[in-house]
Amino acid sequence: MYYYIFESPKSPGERALFERIQQIAREFGIFGEFVQASPARSAQELVEIAVMKNYSTIVAIGGDTHVNKVASKIINLGMGSNIVLGIISTEEDSFLAERWWFKKPEEAMETIKFRKLTKFDIGLIEPNHYFLTNASIICKKPSRVVLEVDRWQAEAVVDRVDVSSNLYILMERYARESSIVKSTFNWLMGRENIRYDQSLFKGKVVRITSSDPLPVYVGKEVMTHTPINVYRKLNAVNIITKRDKVSDEIKNEVEE
Amino acid sequence: MKQQEVGTIVGSSVHLTGSIKDSSDIVIFGSVDGEISSDQKIVIEESARVKGPVTGREVMVSGIVTGTITAKDRLELSPTGMIKGNIDTNTLLIHSGASFIGKCNMPDKKGDGLQDLSKEDFETEIDSEEKLEEGEEDKKED
Repeated sequence: MYYYIFESPKSPGERALFERIQQIAREFGIFGEFVQASPARSAQELVEIAVMKNYSTIVAIGGDTHVNKVASKIINLGMGSNIVLGIISTEEDSFLAERWWFKKPEEAMETIKFRKLTKFDIGLIEPNHYFLTNASIICKKPSRVVLEVDRWQAEAVVDRVDVSSNLYILMERYARESSIVKSTFNWLMGRENIRYDQSLFKGKVVRITSSDPLPVYVGKEVMTHTPINVYRKLNAVNIITKRDKVSDEIKNEVEE
Repeated sequence: MKQQEVGTIVGSSVHLTGSIKDSSDIVIFGSVDGEISSDQKIVIEESARVKGPVTGREVMVSGIVTGTITAKDRLELSPTGMIKGNIDTNTLLIHSGASFIGKCNMPDKKGDGLQDLSKEDFETEIDSEEKLEEGEEDKKED
């Protein structure tokens, strides 16, 4: 029996999609309980209820923020190895949609039905904020941050820092393109006249500090503020993945 | 992100202190104070400033490096590149306009033992070569 936790629908179209998913789940014989997160009953509370009712599979249906809340609660309850997480991403162009997007709801439910379990790493921002996607520091104006990783420290003025759940760190600084040739080309192509200065690192333990507290987003919600310590929990969560289309990327993560 | 393709990139706005190690490629645009080590390629771009030892399979220098460079396979110094320190490599390519202050150590590939020769050995070898040449000249005269 599966416990389906739907995100609160943001549009009539999404509501119709959720109803269609429920209908297909019944048609496929993947029975279970369908619940919906709301301001009165959060996704985290619904996970607690699922654990109390001894469900062994929780399916999170919604955007990155919703799925992250469900995954984080499962780990916080210490059920990462006991509960299997199914994901149906309904937010196009999101981080999770790259892996769990579907053209038709039938395709998503097929993945849930013919369950192939893959262990995934999960990021942890101290004290107890887990994330399956990215933790992002988005600055309104360029800000100086200090990054301490393993045996080195980096200092930079950045506009954005992304830390993935496997602790890849991408730092970006946006600057006006100084090259006349490139700026003319950008203008002709209708592109923004911006040059991206990017840095990419990988670590096992990451500490990010800044002179002023900066918001740390997971999905679209602010989870905490800097300074933060980020860790990686290896093989922390069991997720249902497509049986025949597991990308090399996912395999790499498991091999790591 | 595939681990094989993605390595470490130090952007031009970054100042890094400490030692960085990576099994993949490392590209430096900013400044680094400390050791840089990779099993693959290390690229030090024109805007980069590095103070510390650099160790990699292949090293390309277009910026400024102050420290020892060990390149197992190949070291290339671009016209804009500058090295202040000793280098240790199998293959060395220095472009016109580049600057190198230091000593270079390369392995004895042909087995002629030139690196290990003492001054006396070297003189002895020259003497024997001269004698051979004299002998050949005598034969011609005969």
